[in-house]
Amino acid sequence: MTLAPPTIDSGILEELRAIVGEEDAVLISKSSRLNRARVPAPFPVHRWEEFVPDAVVLPRTVQHVSEIVKLANRTKVPIVPRAGGTGLADGAVPLRGGIVVDVKRMDKIKEVDLANNTVTVGPGINMQTLNRQLVKHGVMFPDDPASYACSLIGGRIGTSGFSLLGSRYGHTRDLVISFEIVLPTGEVIEVGDGGGRKVRKSSTGYHLKHLFMGHQGTLGIVTEATLELVPRAEVEFAAFFLFEDFDTAYRTHRLLACSGLATLAGVMLFDSEKVAYLRRDDEAYIEQPDWVKAVAAASLYGTRAEVEPASKIVMELGRSLGGKYIGDEISSGDWSARHDRYANPLHGRARDGQVVPMSWHCEDAAVPYSELPAVRAKWHAIASRYVEQYEIFDDWGMFAYTNGAHKPWGDVLAEIDMGLWEERLDEAGWQAFISLKREIAQTVLDHGGSMTACHGATRAGDAELVPQEMGGGWDVMMAIKRLLDPNNVMNPGKQSLDRAYE
Amino acid sequence: MAADPRPGRYVQSEQAAPEPRRVSHQVVMRFDHVFEVDPALMARFPQQKMPAWDTKRIVAARWDHLDDVHRQFADGKVLAGEGPEAGDD
Amino acid sequence: MEREMSEVDETQSHVRNPLSASAAGGNGNGGYLAEVEQAFVDRWHDNAYGCFSSGHKFCREVCPVTQVTRNENHTPTAFHSNVVALEKGLIEVEDVADDYVHCTQCGACELRCPNTIMVGDFYRARTETVKVVRAMRALMVDKGLDREGWKIWNRLTDKLKNEPVLGVEGDHPNGQEHVRDWANGLDIPTGGETIMFVDCEAAFYRTSIPRATAQLLQLAGVEFGLMREQWCCGGPAAEMGYVEQARAFAEHNVADWRAIGAKRIIAIEPHDYVHFTEDYPAYFGEEFDFEVVQIVDLVAELICDGRIELKHPIDRVATYHDPCRLNKRKGIHEAPREILRAIPGLTFKDVDHVTQWSYCSGGGGGLPIEKPEITAEISRRRLEKAGELEVDMLVSACVWSERPLRAAGAAQGIEVWDIIELVAESAGIEIGGSMQSGNAPVGSTQG
Repeated sequence: MTLAPPTIDSGILEELRAIVGEEDAVLISKSSRLNRARVPAPFPVHRWEEFVPDAVVLPRTVQHVSEIVKLANRTKVPIVPRAGGTGLADGAVPLRGGIVVDVKRMDKIKEVDLANNTVTVGPGINMQTLNRQLVKHGVMFPDDPASYACSLIGGRIGTSGFSLLGSRYGHTRDLVISFEIVLPTGEVIEVGDGGGRKVRKSSTGYHLKHLFMGHQGTLGIVTEATLELVPRAEVEFAAFFLFEDFDTAYRTHRLLACSGLATLAGVMLFDSEKVAYLRRDDEAYIEQPDWVKAVAAASLYGTRAEVEPASKIVMELGRSLGGKYIGDEISSGDWSARHDRYANPLHGRARDGQVVPMSWHCEDAAVPYSELPAVRAKWHAIASRYVEQYEIFDDWGMFAYTNGAHKPWGDVLAEIDMGLWEERLDEAGWQAFISLKREIAQTVLDHGGSMTACHGATRAGDAELVPQEMGGGWDVMMAIKRLLDPNNVMNPGKQSLDRAYE
Repeated sequence: MAADPRPGRYVQSEQAAPEPRRVSHQVVMRFDHVFEVDPALMARFPQQKMPAWDTKRIVAARWDHLDDVHRQFADGKVLAGEGPEAGDD
Repeated sequence: MEREMSEVDETQSHVRNPLSASAAGGNGNGGYLAEVEQAFVDRWHDNAYGCFSSGHKFCREVCPVTQVTRNENHTPTAFHSNVVALEKGLIEVEDVADDYVHCTQCGACELRCPNTIMVGDFYRARTETVKVVRAMRALMVDKGLDREGWKIWNRLTDKLKNEPVLGVEGDHPNGQEHVRDWANGLDIPTGGETIMFVDCEAAFYRTSIPRATAQLLQLAGVEFGLMREQWCCGGPAAEMGYVEQARAFAEHNVADWRAIGAKRIIAIEPHDYVHFTEDYPAYFGEEFDFEVVQIVDLVAELICDGRIELKHPIDRVATYHDPCRLNKRKGIHEAPREILRAIPGLTFKDVDHVTQWSYCSGGGGGLPIEKPEITAEISRRRLEKAGELEVDMLVSACVWSERPLRAAGAAQGIEVWDIIELVAESAGIEIGGSMQSGNAPVGSTQG
């Protein structure tokens, strides 16, 4: 394959350079474009050149971004916002070339307000980087996805991210108080709860922040955000319990989730396929006896006065149906490893058991608790079919996490992880992958769930089901898209929103 | 002073890993408490020549990293105060 | 199956994916890569997919260069994905040559990468960004795409047998005839079982450091000598892609060590320690039977054993800079802290060595030669972090880091010292040579 040169007019490039005024802020080299095509999700490497932008611009100010967007509207060139490029649903993958607006240089901490517990930042800052600066103030921004060390605030807002500490502190949408966004036509507005940048709850006007939260880059580009500062937890507690069967672990998960403990940060569930997968290379599970087939775990954050008594209740509940405690050392270490366990390609196994590098596909449905066992059975059946038919797939088992912010009961983030062997990927394999995703997503819809709790429904296999999931809301969604982005320049083609222009 | 061996001293003859002993059908062990994949499973994706100092550096870094993750999110830790429970084998 | 560590593979001993374009002898568009490119993509294919299949970029925030440039082209992720792109005929080497200049080879990325830190030891297959960058730079040299500044630097190194640390213009008073000038008056013999290896920056530019080191060892009763003819370790050449020159220098040095009966090499500089414990064993295999010791570990032991007495208080408030090649590349971070805690009078405000995975001076990997503005910004940020601790001194243990750190420190009112200088002061030694002011070395005509 060859990489076509940019199709963008050189006049447009000149205008971009004039807007940002900085050498190396407008990039058209092959590596600049190729390296802003994919995100970590499995990618059709055999068609890499189809997903490459024409140009990349690295703005530093909201004025830059606004001018760039206006230029795009004048010239009808698509724009693809890119923060970390660490998403799992192709939100930042260009579908029809255009200009990638890469916001990583907008990474400053602009204000720390300890009187009102807010921090105002650019969209290009990473949560871990931010929090290292905040330790000295005794506060933190506790938005804690698996990508904590690599995702950026812009993407957290773009996807309406999920936090592993969500039951305690909320998710991204609960922790972002307000933000500044450049609309698809270039106007700059601020959205929050009401008009105050630091107000958490208001009833003035429409709640526009919630419209833009999770827009997947289709309704504008965030240029600044004001975030919640939470007092640092005095202590953390985590406990993992081992079970002989999934059903008992599942019921134990419910007991923990409904415990009423205010310091609960999350309750996790691993099924038997997940345990089998962890036995491959996870030091916490390699030597677990054969009877261990499922895991339920919980974590607590807060003051010692609250967490110590709560921890005893967790221990009691975790064991109440026969769960066995995994031990202090592994509990503590396994919990701290929560960010790093997912993405290692060498988790992959070919059919002959050989280690091969596989890309991590993570399905992230939100499923009512009562539906989880049925969804699980169907998902593994679907996965088995594809694993059997195509050598490129590997079933890495399921996780489930408490999904509701501050509400550990009710629904779960249900995740099936699969490996995809990109080195062996061809078009037949890629189409099989899309078909697999579609079946997985459809199963969830059939059980009253949402096909994506946090990544987004922006890629093939999910995007075509957005109208079904949205139901009557789909027409409203299209109307809003058309209204705000009349020229369809803002991340076009995502979530089936091209239909808004038919 | 800190325990031996210090990472600031290198002797070539000390870099070879001990022979593996079996832990499970897919896992072996050379250094105490350090699991490794059965090399027979690495026919397609080749292993690197990893001297002992590098294995030890990685293992030490992993524990340091996990401690650091914990410290980032809380100033202290509460533990159940118990080791692993035996199951009903 | 294992692969040898050497940079140039003599054999292709691993099973190749029969469906890969390179194994089939071509890239996807039916064209063929030239021999050197083919060898390169074959050698690094598995490393590339080991990263590309993940692409999560845990490396980006710890990388000192991408912290400054915020340009994804400079991420270790891009460094690996470019290999896949090259293999598929989407790019050529000249398309990415400038990108690979943007790396200090600090090793933060490859350590923090979950593929290393969580399972690298398990699979005996870790992320090796430093090797990938070096290999690409070697490919650039092969194709005549090496950078002008590096070309000049390494040509002069070859001529002088030491790096042109006193400047590439005009006279070069750091040729072989001056390589031991720093030791004037210290009565250090030539040869012996233990040799002290003095890197180029210390031998000519920061002569206070080898003087402090030598006098400390003498005070502690450690017997050692110097080489007959010490050439540059060859490491910088290897880092910048000049593979043959690096090897030739290594062969010279090892021959000198053998000739003088050396069995033990004290490396006073972290870069040398890395090269002697990684590159030299790769060149010489089992024949490399020397013991290599890093000075910071040795000095910590000597203090602990009471062979160095720290009598004079240093009444300063200091923080420590973990040099990348000690902390990230080698896991040496305890010994220097033991030393600093042992110095009387010193108020030591520490930043833990894991947080420091994302710190750097920007001095390594040839970066200051080609991109001095990036090095300067990396050092400026390092000093800014030190400044937040309200210290008046930043102590490093790597002479190469100290040049850019000191320049940044001067602007921020923080003095930058080397840990060995501090120990020597506290031990009551009159060091001599050019002190941390960075003035011209004793006996030099250069200002």
